[in-house]
Amino acid sequence: MTNKPTIRIERQYAGPVDDLWWLWTTREGFESWWGPEGFRVEVRKLDLRVGGELVYDMIACAPEQIKWLRDNNMPASHGTNGKYVEVVPLKRLGISHMIDFMPGVKPYENRMFVEFVPEGRNVRMVVDIDEHVTPEITRMATEGFASQLLKLPAVLSARRGKS
Amino acid sequence: MDAFQTLADPTRRQIVESLRGGEQQVNDIVAALDIHQSGVSRHLRLLLKAGFVQVRPAGQMRLYSLRPEPFRDLEAWVASYQQLWDARLTRFGAALEKRRTRRKENEGDE
Repeated sequence: MTNKPTIRIERQYAGPVDDLWWLWTTREGFESWWGPEGFRVEVRKLDLRVGGELVYDMIACAPEQIKWLRDNNMPASHGTNGKYVEVVPLKRLGISHMIDFMPGVKPYENRMFVEFVPEGRNVRMVVDIDEHVTPEITRMATEGFASQLLKLPAVLSARRGKS
Repeated sequence: MDAFQTLADPTRRQIVESLRGGEQQVNDIVAALDIHQSGVSRHLRLLLKAGFVQVRPAGQMRLYSLRPEPFRDLEAWVASYQQLWDARLTRFGAALEKRRTRRKENEGDE
């Protein structure tokens, strides 16, 4: 494979890191925020160890998303299969998602890594995500969700494989 | 075929990379990539069709170069993807606050 561009997103939260780790690695925690906008998540399996499975349903709950999915012949709920590729408690977590639910698109793997870096009383959370390479995800990201997104301060930084 | 499908192929990505330096003939690309000419020509046709590449005649030669438009589209997509994550992490922050508030309340009860 050629070097794949990675998207990097960073946020800083008040410490300690335990609660951040809990939000990423427990059923209740993960369901409380993973989304995306207009979707809720129901975790079916969460086996926190390298090679362990993370299986959940993403269920559209906002009318716009339900309509958009229906208009694009996609179900309002779909199963998502992931597995943990790295587990270093309170420090680093790697999740690989199989993107295998898009009609007509060959399944492919999308990896993300989150790192928790203590900085005094705060914790910097750094998320690196493979860029998706399929048009369907693109459309979901742009048409389906863009209209929903809140206007938030730009605190993101992008890191590309090459400039 | 849209921009992402076009670039999903590693050979086409290599061709795009090799054109970043400027105009090239098919032979130059073939030499740089070590791929058979028929393969390069086929991928160049697809890149032309998808709007990533343009071609102009120069005497006997045909020179290929990149067009900026599809790359701008990709940039726009990356920006929207970041927005998606921005919203997700805003929810993360809210969930974190909620958990901490609840924990404090529970500690207060004890």
